[in-house]
Amino acid sequence: MRFEMKMPDLATTESEIRIVQWRIEPGEQVARGQALVEVETDKATMDVESAVGGVLRETRCDPGTSVSVGDVIAVLEVEAAVAGTASEKTPRQELSTKAPAAAAVEASPPAARAPGGMFARNRAATDGRAAPDDACRLSVAQRTSARRLQQSKQTIPHFYLQTSADASGIVTRRAAAAPAPPAWDAFFVLALARAIGRFPRFACRWEGEQLVPASTDAIGVAVDHEGDLFVLPVEAAASKTVDQISDEIRQGLNLLGGGDSDVRRIRPALMTVTNLGVCDVESFIPIINPPETAILGVGKVLPAAVVRDGQMVVEHRCRLTLSVDHRVASGRAAGEFLGRIVRELEALGGEAA
Amino acid sequence: MNPAATGEHQHDHSYDSAFLLELYERMVSIREFEDGVKFLFLEGTMPGTIHQCQGQEATAVGVCAALRESDFITSTFRGHGHALAKGLTVQELLDELFGATTGCCRGKGGSMHVGNMARGMVPGIAIVGGGIPVAAGMGLAFKMQRSGQIAACFFGDGAVSEGAFHEGVNMAAIWNLPVLFVCENNLYGASTHVSLVMRDTNIARRATCYGIRGQQVDGNDVLAVCEAARQAAAECRAGNGPVLLELLTYRRTGHSRRDACHYQPADEREAWAARDPILRFAEVLKTRGVADDAQLEAIRTRIVEQFNEAVTAARLAPQPTLDDLTTDVFVDNGEGR
Repeated sequence: MRFEMKMPDLATTESEIRIVQWRIEPGEQVARGQALVEVETDKATMDVESAVGGVLRETRCDPGTSVSVGDVIAVLEVEAAVAGTASEKTPRQELSTKAPAAAAVEASPPAARAPGGMFARNRAATDGRAAPDDACRLSVAQRTSARRLQQSKQTIPHFYLQTSADASGIVTRRAAAAPAPPAWDAFFVLALARAIGRFPRFACRWEGEQLVPASTDAIGVAVDHEGDLFVLPVEAAASKTVDQISDEIRQGLNLLGGGDSDVRRIRPALMTVTNLGVCDVESFIPIINPPETAILGVGKVLPAAVVRDGQMVVEHRCRLTLSVDHRVASGRAAGEFLGRIVRELEALGGEAA
Repeated sequence: MNPAATGEHQHDHSYDSAFLLELYERMVSIREFEDGVKFLFLEGTMPGTIHQCQGQEATAVGVCAALRESDFITSTFRGHGHALAKGLTVQELLDELFGATTGCCRGKGGSMHVGNMARGMVPGIAIVGGGIPVAAGMGLAFKMQRSGQIAACFFGDGAVSEGAFHEGVNMAAIWNLPVLFVCENNLYGASTHVSLVMRDTNIARRATCYGIRGQQVDGNDVLAVCEAARQAAAECRAGNGPVLLELLTYRRTGHSRRDACHYQPADEREAWAARDPILRFAEVLKTRGVADDAQLEAIRTRIVEQFNEAVTAARLAPQPTLDDLTTDVFVDNGEGR
């Protein structure tokens, strides 16, 4: 008989509970009361014990992801009669040497509940009854993302700098490499990585009223895959070529499209590049991905009229917005950093492939 | 605190078998209730969090066994054990945990506030130390009414540092109130060790400051607890004033279900597991020839079956409706509300 193990109410606030590691592999036997998965709540890291004894068939969430109380985290196969035999594995402290006879657990609560009872919200989520028809269910990833971004916007003192870069060199370079030009994002990633190399302050983050060096040097590429937001980290970007970075990004996108669970794991980046050029957005003001210090928003590369040496010329330009954490850097420092990014980007246009 | 320090209590041998078995059953009933409820929590079908008392069964059972039915107890957020020891039924407790109207507090109290005035238990007061002045007040009422009742007040080591402890104990002392102050010292206030919140960790010694008698007891020896409580209750009823009992025990579960309990060192946990009150009392019963392993196991099996039946009934018990929102709020003054 199938039993859906749900995340018990372990968090002290409405916050999510993060999966750290599974203690049992699918296919393995687990006893009632035996540690099933290690989780991290807002309070502490702890084990969640299995509510039933049986065989673990499926795990529904990966290490590194977060779930809410009541989300189904695993499916177990329980035999009503097997409850007693699981006793040898129960921990020493348990005086219950036999699991009670009524371990034939109901997979869902009985129907005899008054509507609108106190825990209607929990029950609706846990017993398969539909939420109100016009509500749109969000995935765990979407809910996690929503919470992190709200926290970011509410706690980080953002300020924004806007500029534009001459992208004509890159346009030419990409045209020369047709029919397989490197991805646009690869240029932004490399320019950003090189700029950070010159501005070590932006390789730090705010932690407890101190600036602490970030633990990674990866530049993140923001990706929207079927409505879920992911960040593909490119490590040691400054030491790679545009082509290498481009290949890495494309490979990451393929893995995402193929449903690879490893690539979906939240991995930290030092700073993120987010590009809405594909949507014809000219410029936008992005929200910093906590715990990063800044984020670079890139708009569509468009021909624009500029004045050079008193003459009006048309060249491809790209608008950039840098959102910065004001606790880490002031306007001047951020302005110089953004200026550096622009120069690196324009220099890439002039480099040979 | 070294669990071996208090030594083995020399038990009175005049108890009859029925009474001893009753003590055992009550403790097992608490343990199976708490373990069962833990799984209900893990399954996610029972709302709210719970504060459990596995390992502390002997304190509740020992003290309540020394009280009369008409005596009252006050309790804390960790009250399931006190409730079962005082005489509340498993069914009314489970119904309450499931939020049903047939629960001991009509589904309006939940785990932290279980109680039943008809059985002499004031619904648990979850504020640390909150029950101490209440117990003193009840003691004053009993004394003024000359009813012969006493109030037993359960609280933990954490409550001893609250101002309310001083005020309640002092008032009971100066007015000779019939209150039995029972401190269940399980070494931790949530996750804080007693040595971090008091320089002198002997709580019973504080009684001398109030001019009353204090006694430290092995809280995991149900007979020792019962005897200390009986003597103290007799003193209270005789008008000698309050008594402070410090019961040394240990919590074998987290503070709440949200507590991973990493602050309890492994060797300490193991030392106290070896002094488990139920295991120890089982040995006493066997040594005295009151019961053998098979009989004790049969008791446990029966209790587990009763618990499971109660769970089934509790799941189907009626839930409060909007109409219940305004009942039990005011005392009925005869005009309807």
